[in-house]
Amino acid sequence: MAPPDAVADREEQVLQADAVAAQEQRRQRRYLAKGLLRSPTFMTGLIIVLFWIVMALFSRSLTQDPNVVNAFATLKAPSAAHWFGTDDLGRDVFARTLAGARTVLIIAPLATLLCLLAGGIIGLVAGFYRGLVDEIIMRLVDVLLSLPVIITAILILSLLGKSIPIVIIVVGALFTPVVSRTIRSAAIGEREREYVMAARLRGERSAFIMAREILPNITQPIIVEGTIRLGYAVFTAATLAFLGFGLPPGSPDWGLTISAERGFVAIASWTVLFPAAALASLVVAVNLITDGLTRVFSR
Amino acid sequence: MTDLEQQGTSPAALDVSDLEVTFHRRGRDLPVLKGVTLRIERGEAYGLVGESGCGKTTLAMAALRYLASNGTVDAGKVLVDGRDVSTLKGEALRKWRGEAVAMVYQDPATALSPAMRIGDQVGEVFRYHEGLSRAESRERARESLRRVALPDPDATLRRYPFELSGGQQQRVVIAMALAVNPRLLVLDEPTTGLDATVEAEILDLIEDLRGRINAAILLITHNLGLVARLCERVGVLYAGRVVEEGPAREVFTDPRHPYTMGLLRCVPRFGMNKADAALQTIPGTLPALGEPLQGCVYSARCPMAKPVCTRREPDLYAWPGDGGPAGRAQAEAMSPDPAAYSPHHASPLGDGARHARCYFSAQVREMPETTAVLATSSASRVGGGDVLQIDALRRTFKDGRKKLTAVHEVSLSLKRGETFGLVGESGSGKTTLAKCVTGLLVADSGTLEFEGKPLRSAAGRRPREALRAIQMVFQNPDSTLNPAWTTRAILSRAVRKLGGTSGSSVRAKVDKLSADVRVEPRFLLQKPNDLSGGQKQRVAIARAFAGDPTLVVCDEPASALDVSVQASILNLLVELQSSEHVSYVFISHDLAVVRYISDRIGVMYLAELIEVGSAAEVFSAPHHPYTEALLSSIPKLDFGTPQQRIPLHGSMPSLSEPPSGCRFHTRCHRFLGDICVNQEPPLQEPASGHVYKCHILPAELLAAQTAPSPPPASGQV
Repeated sequence: MAPPDAVADREEQVLQADAVAAQEQRRQRRYLAKGLLRSPTFMTGLIIVLFWIVMALFSRSLTQDPNVVNAFATLKAPSAAHWFGTDDLGRDVFARTLAGARTVLIIAPLATLLCLLAGGIIGLVAGFYRGLVDEIIMRLVDVLLSLPVIITAILILSLLGKSIPIVIIVVGALFTPVVSRTIRSAAIGEREREYVMAARLRGERSAFIMAREILPNITQPIIVEGTIRLGYAVFTAATLAFLGFGLPPGSPDWGLTISAERGFVAIASWTVLFPAAALASLVVAVNLITDGLTRVFSR
Repeated sequence: MTDLEQQGTSPAALDVSDLEVTFHRRGRDLPVLKGVTLRIERGEAYGLVGESGCGKTTLAMAALRYLASNGTVDAGKVLVDGRDVSTLKGEALRKWRGEAVAMVYQDPATALSPAMRIGDQVGEVFRYHEGLSRAESRERARESLRRVALPDPDATLRRYPFELSGGQQQRVVIAMALAVNPRLLVLDEPTTGLDATVEAEILDLIEDLRGRINAAILLITHNLGLVARLCERVGVLYAGRVVEEGPAREVFTDPRHPYTMGLLRCVPRFGMNKADAALQTIPGTLPALGEPLQGCVYSARCPMAKPVCTRREPDLYAWPGDGGPAGRAQAEAMSPDPAAYSPHHASPLGDGARHARCYFSAQVREMPETTAVLATSSASRVGGGDVLQIDALRRTFKDGRKKLTAVHEVSLSLKRGETFGLVGESGSGKTTLAKCVTGLLVADSGTLEFEGKPLRSAAGRRPREALRAIQMVFQNPDSTLNPAWTTRAILSRAVRKLGGTSGSSVRAKVDKLSADVRVEPRFLLQKPNDLSGGQKQRVAIARAFAGDPTLVVCDEPASALDVSVQASILNLLVELQSSEHVSYVFISHDLAVVRYISDRIGVMYLAELIEVGSAAEVFSAPHHPYTEALLSSIPKLDFGTPQQRIPLHGSMPSLSEPPSGCRFHTRCHRFLGDICVNQEPPLQEPASGHVYKCHILPAELLAAQTAPSPPPASGQV
């Protein structure tokens, strides 16, 4: 047994070490943050996404009402009064474009979280157990992956109804197989590592090994996979809106607007062009964030 | 080197002067090489040794202009064959790399393109650099393969890399390196990933080629034995500085720098056992990259360091000479401000002269020993009944339709406090056997008994008591600890699960465990990535000892570590054994290490245990011909007697179709004839407790193995 003053010494050393370790951790985090802040790719993406989030929340108080109809000013070309022109009902395209992010920004992130959660669990289970469990899960995943996403979504939505929560669940479910595949391969890489063997020799339960040993070491691929899926989810949500799922007609959503105005594209291209460009900017921005994250993580 | 001296003589193959290289990582500048000067004459073989992180590979990369993109050359010059490599650009650089220099990397499997046939890969060199046609280049490729003694070059040309063994792959890489007659051949740890017998073959090849090529060789390695065998001169690198240089033989027999002395002392000398003495270690750890160092780079770890050593860094002084004492006087006289000092070289390097960067070179011979002798008589330690009994254990893997038997009818027993060393080449089944014992793998048949009671095969089905009692220390320090957990979390979890401790006593137990393995408290709050390899392995050992185990399986626990760290880990294991009275199964490919730590040794070949006996018995005649060949293949740090190596024929047969009769008969140098092919050999027992599996009787084997003349290289060819 060590004498008491030695114990006190040790305590002090521990406290000091704590400070040093915390400092180092802060430095590492600062470094990652700095890398992201200095990455033009990441920052461009982030600024665009933030812009659309702010617009989705507040655009109604910044512009005129996107739903106000003016029968005397239909299909007007862009002008000082209507920057992006007006549509077939005389509604202001600028106001509608800025307001149009709202539904997409509700559906896409929630669907992404859902597919990460479900795909994460399935991928971890398949990658950790391997063998027969893996074989069965992955063959099922193969079957699901061979389904065309949009057509399947339309089919299910036609059966279950068109409300936003159902759209979220369907999009999330359709992305789950892809996510589970990515997580599975990351989990397989970790499962063969010696610390997992050490956990098995400690008699840890499988759930503990998956959640506490493996999961913390695959957060980076999960984050990257999440941003990739987010991009696709934005796109899918807009496509479904275009096809009339999830929203009451008349709301300023991009997909819905493009669908409603597509007949006028030849004579009043602005009615479709601006919402389409807005949608593209959001998808591209999410992909820029993905690229930035991947680059900083892999450094 | 002055200009005057250089006139009239041909330029050196490699001339590095005052080279400074800095890496930039995560926003930090990390100086890796600090004023390195060295010179390799034409046709000379130069060994560069040092522990990991000292800058060996960086030097080679700088010489070949292959520095990673975050590395910059800040000062100094590199001349290859008189040509300044920093002036080369674009196409000229590419041409120069292809024609003047060549490199052989550590891992041959990644140096070859897996998608190209060997013939195309080797032939490409000639097509690209000599503009030969496809047919001509193929002919030249065949010649090159013949030159590196690959059997059946025509068949090899048609193969893909994965169809070759590791040794054959390395031969192909060497053939490609030599294809263009380079001026400088860099070998970066050329045999590190290979088995002892294959390593010996590659060394023979390099030695043989030396006489026939005119390339100078720069051999980078941590293995001093390799340098002793291949090189005329050696440079010792520490923390980016050359600390000693000179003819290999002199440096290794009479080192003049405390670091060189320390390195030589930490390697377990052949035949040494833990009962004799603890291994020497080098105190402290390598300075981290970018850590500011005052004075001599080695002073923090040097057992001879005096105040003057931290005041001013010594130059590379010629030995013998009075540079050291003179420099010391100068250092003592000067102000303690290190900025007032600008480095310069006291004398030119090269020409067989010896240099050491130390003020006290003359006293290195009397350097104090670092570790107290730790005498633990094995007789008193080992005792009681059998802790572990394995009987006819068998484990088979499926590879497609093939069945690979990795462990075949292995039986052995282990007493309390005993260390059972397990040796054999990769693929012999050592690790599979170890995993069956710990329960990470389930045996197909056979029995395991632990303290007299049958033991369930799978770890998940063993009671906590059995898990606690049988633990494992793994090989790879970088993956043995969960990178997401702090050291304290790792040990706390082990103490809770294995020690059955809970509540406030967990903390105290973790503190005691970490103190026992000498992990400083400051590392408890850090995560594995902030720990050095040795520290990680100490934590892993503490984790295995969390529940006061009875048996610890150590699978190459020190193989991935530097020699000085390896020595301290082995000492720690021996120490824990004598205090905790634990038994070890110790797996290693390093025979000197196994000899040092083991009480008894088992030799495995192709899934079978072919010899078992006390460490001394197995390592001396009469022993199994395979053991004999293994022992003869180790490069030793011994300049006295020329080494007689026993070559093994061919490569290891497949586990799916093991040879009939004696499994070793296809490669045996003492092959008798049909009896070896047709009949499984009996167990011979030359002494009680020492058995080997061979048709040759102990008396005959003893006579043959102690005969002065080398064994005839007959046998089945």
